[in-house]
Amino acid sequence: MPDYAPVDLTGTDLVEFELNGRTVKAPAGTMLVDACAANGVEVPIFCYEPRLGDPLGACRQCLVSVEGIPGLTTACSTPVAAEMMVDTVSEEVREAQDGILELLLENHPLDCPVCDKGGECPLQDRTFRFGPGESRMVEPKRHFPKPLKLSPQIALDRERCISCYRCVRFSQDVSEDGNLTMSERGGRSEITTFTGDSYNGRFTGNVIDLCPVGALTSIPYRFTSRPWDIQNTPSVCASCSVGCNTELTLREGEIKRVQGRDEPNWQVEEGWLCNVGRWGYGADQAPQRLRQPILRDGGETRECSLEEAVAAAGLVLAHEAHTTVLLGGDVTVEEAFIAKELAAGPLPDAQVGSAGVVGAALGPLRALPAAQLGDIDGADLVVVVGGDPANQHPVAELRLRKARRAGARIVLVGPRAQELESLGESIRTAPGNLAEGLTSAVAQIATVKRPLVVWDELDLDAEPDAAVVLATALGDNAAASQLELTSEVNGAGLRALGVAPHSRLVDQDLGGVLAVRANPGAGPGGDAWNRALDSGGPIVVIASHHSELTERATVVIPCSSHFEHEGVLVTAGQRAQRLRPGAAGPEQSAPGWEILIALSHRLGVALEYRSPRSAFAAATASAPALSGLDYDTLGDLGAEIATSPASDVNGAGAPRAHDGEGLPLVTGRSVFGGPEAHLSEGLVVTATGEEAVLHPAEAARLNVADANLITLNSPNGECTVRLRLDPGAPEGAVFAVRGVPGGTVESLLAPDRAPVNVTVNTA
Amino acid sequence: MPQLNSVYRHRAADRVLTTVDTYRLSGGYLALEKALGEMTADELLYVFHRSGLRGRGGAGFPMGRKASFLPKDAQLAKYLVCNADESEPGTFKDREIMELNPHQLIEGMVLAGYAIGAERGYIYIRGEYEYQAQILDAAIEAARESGYLGSDIAGSKVDFDLTLYRGAGAYICGEETGLLESLEGKRGQPRLKPPFPAVKGLWASPTLLNNVETLAALPPIVENGPDWYAGMGTEKSPGTKVFSISGHVTKPGNYEVVLGDTTLRELIFDMAGGLREGRSFKACWVGGSSVPVLAEQHLDTPLDYESLQEAGTFLGSGGCIVMDDSGCIVRASLRLASFYRHESCGKCTPCREGTGWMENVLQRMVDGEGRMEDFELMEALFGRIGGKCLCALADGAVAPISSAIRLFRKDFVRVVSEGSPLPQPMSPQLEMSGGRANA
Repeated sequence: MPDYAPVDLTGTDLVEFELNGRTVKAPAGTMLVDACAANGVEVPIFCYEPRLGDPLGACRQCLVSVEGIPGLTTACSTPVAAEMMVDTVSEEVREAQDGILELLLENHPLDCPVCDKGGECPLQDRTFRFGPGESRMVEPKRHFPKPLKLSPQIALDRERCISCYRCVRFSQDVSEDGNLTMSERGGRSEITTFTGDSYNGRFTGNVIDLCPVGALTSIPYRFTSRPWDIQNTPSVCASCSVGCNTELTLREGEIKRVQGRDEPNWQVEEGWLCNVGRWGYGADQAPQRLRQPILRDGGETRECSLEEAVAAAGLVLAHEAHTTVLLGGDVTVEEAFIAKELAAGPLPDAQVGSAGVVGAALGPLRALPAAQLGDIDGADLVVVVGGDPANQHPVAELRLRKARRAGARIVLVGPRAQELESLGESIRTAPGNLAEGLTSAVAQIATVKRPLVVWDELDLDAEPDAAVVLATALGDNAAASQLELTSEVNGAGLRALGVAPHSRLVDQDLGGVLAVRANPGAGPGGDAWNRALDSGGPIVVIASHHSELTERATVVIPCSSHFEHEGVLVTAGQRAQRLRPGAAGPEQSAPGWEILIALSHRLGVALEYRSPRSAFAAATASAPALSGLDYDTLGDLGAEIATSPASDVNGAGAPRAHDGEGLPLVTGRSVFGGPEAHLSEGLVVTATGEEAVLHPAEAARLNVADANLITLNSPNGECTVRLRLDPGAPEGAVFAVRGVPGGTVESLLAPDRAPVNVTVNTA
Repeated sequence: MPQLNSVYRHRAADRVLTTVDTYRLSGGYLALEKALGEMTADELLYVFHRSGLRGRGGAGFPMGRKASFLPKDAQLAKYLVCNADESEPGTFKDREIMELNPHQLIEGMVLAGYAIGAERGYIYIRGEYEYQAQILDAAIEAARESGYLGSDIAGSKVDFDLTLYRGAGAYICGEETGLLESLEGKRGQPRLKPPFPAVKGLWASPTLLNNVETLAALPPIVENGPDWYAGMGTEKSPGTKVFSISGHVTKPGNYEVVLGDTTLRELIFDMAGGLREGRSFKACWVGGSSVPVLAEQHLDTPLDYESLQEAGTFLGSGGCIVMDDSGCIVRASLRLASFYRHESCGKCTPCREGTGWMENVLQRMVDGEGRMEDFELMEALFGRIGGKCLCALADGAVAPISSAIRLFRKDFVRVVSEGSPLPQPMSPQLEMSGGRANA
């Protein structure tokens, strides 16, 4: 966790003050703890956490002496001012800091040898540096039964708690679920939920990172490692396109833990992670993980070696007259680039397509100045168009809440009821009426200083006229910026490489298929895809997990997951960020890029890239949007890629027509019901499922009842799903959650996600 | 030893003043009519200022100055909050005002509200005061019906209304910011200051907080003029103050005295009837339990802020707890330590952990397991707890114990060295039956 807020010592608003007899500088108004840290002086803290809002001043650990202030004062809540004389090392200060630690440890069990936090514990570290060597208390310590399950993922040890309130403030003031609270008082104070239920939510795991002692620990992680036999690697989360910066913990060849970084990316996640980002690594160890290459020869299926599988893949693809390369939405830039090179060279007559939508009218919007998630903080008006950030791009929710707390106006416009509607003005639009619904937001964009539009790629792709309206409104305000929440994790990266969506290929003869992290049969138009795949040639699948596609494949080659390889993803805000391998992956697997290179050798035209680094260098040379970037410039925090030039928007004057009979279907996915949530052992208890949502009046008209299974039919397919009635849902439309493993909602959609209508019947 | 009944006007009137009519008969609401009709808010504020009235909750901060800290140009609504939590041990002065003379408090609040430009006031009353809450509720309703609360009060175009809010029984909610948190519906815990309530108080708006006795003193001040009030008492302690005497005295109760004119000895031995037959004075906590204890040598201290401070204690809330030689100072200290451990809200480390530790050490002493090194340990604890917290609760926990060990060290040493916590607390039954003094 970042203990201190970042301080910019290069600005022009610095004031001079005296720190332990030295004259130093810091921006006026910086809290003393941060100003001291920036000048190399550590003031110990526990409750202070700059990301939790105003200082609390409860733990009293940071008492320092400031001339002119009687007694000692808490450095966490005292802003620095010119000519202030600060002493953090005097005998009086030392005695006070030692005293607080003695009191903190008075009832602390000191069970460090069996505590998960031991070795990476701020209480241990600060006791060592600032505290007493022994206890003077002879009475028995306070005891509680322990540990309690605060949630299925979080264990609470009340004896270790030092009542710093960080977790409570996170719940109250950051995620704003308000459920964590302190009950009882004084020495009997304990963390609990207000409702008495389990502490469930989208971001609950952050309290583990925030806890400065071993009171809140991760149930999936606890007792699996010790800090001195783990290895930590900075990486990026690939659960959604937000691209939160993470730290991966490796032990015994496996990822044991994912946590926020000590030095967070202030432009992206600020150190917060959603629960799927935190515990989704469990999917890597799930039974569905591919651990062995598979060959299907006639009716026979057998396991084989990696080399044999690659050789077989080269063999079957080389013999096809033409081939198709299908890329998943989360392939790295390197994998996509090498796959393109394969298609351009050794693969016979190949075409390449990736998951995602065409987004014909989105060009002008994308060409506008791209904002980073961090820019939401400084906006005075945030318009959220479409989507459901809380479930689809979770950490964006925390930014929106933060902006609202800072006084920004939030306007939400979109075709579905969503989690964040209470954040501000909410305008729900009927499918096809998004442009009209934007009228008020557009008027407000013109009148404020720093408007920012957060928009959902899929919802605006369905209503291109709204995208044009938005682009025009934003273009008129020079200070306006836009932040695209892409549907595919590396959607922006694939676009930068010029990979077009594969929906255009579904009606063609696919020939031999090379699928890299792709599983179109489970995506939109799945039925059509499965027909095409079944009638085509041999299928070679490079994937990390079992899927419907690996079941039909001729050759299955297990590849690395995003925790196990190096590569670049271009995430929200068109930010290129580096994945780094935190673990090696199963023995019979290899990084995706390496498999593709090996395949090129087998196909007879060897590609010369020996590392992802060199593949990325070649990719940047070929793609103008990526030019100038390399692994070193991306570093730990990533960098923005160039904005794509505006494309032609002819024909974007109207929303796309809905195909089929019945009510318009609006879909959305939830990260919390996605593959990671369902495959990871730690998350499966809180994973959400597929459902359809109707307004009660609509359900009455359709004669379907709450909690019943209903059948939805579209021209593309059929799906059976449980119905939930919600008075908050818009009338005149059906909402359905897609993206749940094994679910069938996607099959209702067309391969290119063209809007559809569905008929609704009791199953 | 002049006594005065300016706050306790019902005593001068010889009857309870719980109805608007009885209160009016005793001159009630005249100050309100005069102030709202003839004076500007600033003139009224000046009257408060000039009277020298100091806050009667415990800290003794000049009321007029506190009121003037509210920003004049604030965009937010201003609030007046009356602290009727009266949770300081040994203090029951506000209770009598609310029970017998509630309209004087209401009138005082209208005056203060008008002076600071607030249209809404709250009375935060301690949860245990259920009966008093009923009386206040009825009085507020009656005042509203008679046009002394609500809009256009007494035809003056001034709006002000009151809401009574009952606490749930926490000492910390008598601390002003803890009270505000509780009033906002949150867990009662003190806030970091600054910002002070005058700038960012209730609902983050400018707020004036005053004790019941302070606010109830306003109507007589307006009626008789600030110079009348300032003329009483000493220069630094003007006016009258109510002392609540309890403990080993024969006539416990509330006594309103002119500050500086009465000594502690006169208060205990003349007004409160002195000690029981055959007993001698041992100790006294003069300003509630959160102040340093006094011993016999302090009995001739005049009761005013500065003299008591010179004697090493504080006037505090005026809750004077008297103990004669039948009590044990070690046990009394333990009882106080238990109280503060129980009431610590748990927000600040030194208070949460330190109050419990002090109690543990004293409990050990009482259990006959004290050690001589405990004196050194306690001294260290006092330093590590006192002055290190957000609010004054921990300081209040340290003060009576550290002073007791200093003043009555012999008693503590005897308990530690003889391993016997004598004498036991007395119960009236035991004494009447000639029971044991020692056990």
